[in-house]
Amino acid sequence: MNAAELKTQFTGYVFDEIELDIEPESLVGFATACGETQSRFTDPTDPDFQGVPNYLTRIHGSRAMPADFPVEMHRCFDAGKSVQFHAPVRPGDKIQGRSEIADIFEKSGRSGSMLFIVHRMNFYNQAGVHLATVDWRLVQRELD
Amino acid sequence: MSEPKDKRFEDVEFGEDLPEVDVDVSLPNVKVFAKAARMETGRFIDHEEARRNGLPGAIVPGIMSQGMLVALIHRWAPNAEILNVDTIFRAPLLVDSKPVASGVVTDIDEDARVIEIDLMLKNEKGETPVMGTAKIKLPG
Amino acid sequence: MILDLHSHSVASDDGRAKVENYCQWIQRKQVGIDGFVLTEHRQFDDANDYRALEDQFGLLILKASEVETEYGHVLVFGVNDDLRAAFDFAKIDNPLATVLEAAERAGAVAVPCHPGRPKVGMCAHWETRGPVDGVRIIETLNGGSREGENEQAEAMAERYGWNTIGGSDSHIVSHIGRCATRFDDEIRDIDGLVTALQGDRFEAVVPETAS
Repeated sequence: MNAAELKTQFTGYVFDEIELDIEPESLVGFATACGETQSRFTDPTDPDFQGVPNYLTRIHGSRAMPADFPVEMHRCFDAGKSVQFHAPVRPGDKIQGRSEIADIFEKSGRSGSMLFIVHRMNFYNQAGVHLATVDWRLVQRELD
Repeated sequence: MSEPKDKRFEDVEFGEDLPEVDVDVSLPNVKVFAKAARMETGRFIDHEEARRNGLPGAIVPGIMSQGMLVALIHRWAPNAEILNVDTIFRAPLLVDSKPVASGVVTDIDEDARVIEIDLMLKNEKGETPVMGTAKIKLPG
Repeated sequence: MILDLHSHSVASDDGRAKVENYCQWIQRKQVGIDGFVLTEHRQFDDANDYRALEDQFGLLILKASEVETEYGHVLVFGVNDDLRAAFDFAKIDNPLATVLEAAERAGAVAVPCHPGRPKVGMCAHWETRGPVDGVRIIETLNGGSREGENEQAEAMAERYGWNTIGGSDSHIVSHIGRCATRFDDEIRDIDGLVTALQGDRFEAVVPETAS
């Protein structure tokens, strides 16, 4: 299938949902390793302690692609991520993440001809608050 | 170094440079990140395994690069409300290299009170393997 | 006259810069260019009209395209209906020979860009696939090049006696004008640019920036 056909068949629906609990140690380690210095990101005792705005980018669903999506993950690399931040993630939150394919297109780059897949995950907390939208641009490159 | 001060929207100028930061992508620090992010796979934390997989060495996780650019913004404006961050990974950033994070203000939307920043991670050769943009709000 | 002949706006899938911000940047940082050409990926941007920005900022803002061939990427200046009918701008494997020939027939100019870049640059393909007739200009100064890539392009241009252009290949605001092209003659519009490129009174340069 070409990119247009893939897009028609595999975009526009949620293909995976996951739930996970947010642990303070993970929030702290993520923030400090990235060079954050504010206590609201690094100190669990801070009354406003929260994950950094891009913390949820680390979370992947139980599957990267919809069932039957013809991609070979070992040929894929990460071309970029964007995160639209809506509300902070807090320790103890129970996060729900919903995955969909937002776009598929092809282009050529340093690695040859490539299929770009935009994997979108929307994250919500236990109160249904929309926390973030993360777009993961995954690229499958041609075989050498 | 003095603690950064909160910024006001009115104080920001188009073209203003964010103070550069020498970011820590040493293997020990990348391991801290990988553990926190549940990304303890060889290509990020093991130079030899990365090379066996065709890489020049262990590479910095893309979202760690992104996180370092977010931290750059927070160092410049601790009270920044980050609306979005979009990073493009053009080439691998190598673990144990010495990259520098930088940013510059490239749009000020007076109506929406939103500031846009170009973000870059440059390696020792002056190349920009990671770049992107962020939109933030500041009180004013 | 100095123009950045290779840039991308938000109209390109990987572009993050708004054209107005490019103009503000050039003005504020006193980037040493008189204008720039938007070379959006795999398309010609019919939708946007930048003449008001030209007037506001005193810059020349032109539109062109960056298309993709089996020999790598190619900038196309002077896009018109004839050219768009000749091959599919959205495809990633147009034959280079077709793009060059179609541009010549349509009164446009096609310039292989970042030729020294792996996979998407012409140099490596030239070695493996063989030469292609019709190349007259290549981009030898690209602002996004890695170590050695511009040098490889320069060596190829010298070897074949091709003319050279420069462009920033900017995708974010602060990269506009990193590389450019100096023209001996003044250029006022896209037809003037095409005419200039059909001659040989230009060269790739790195512009000065005041701040």
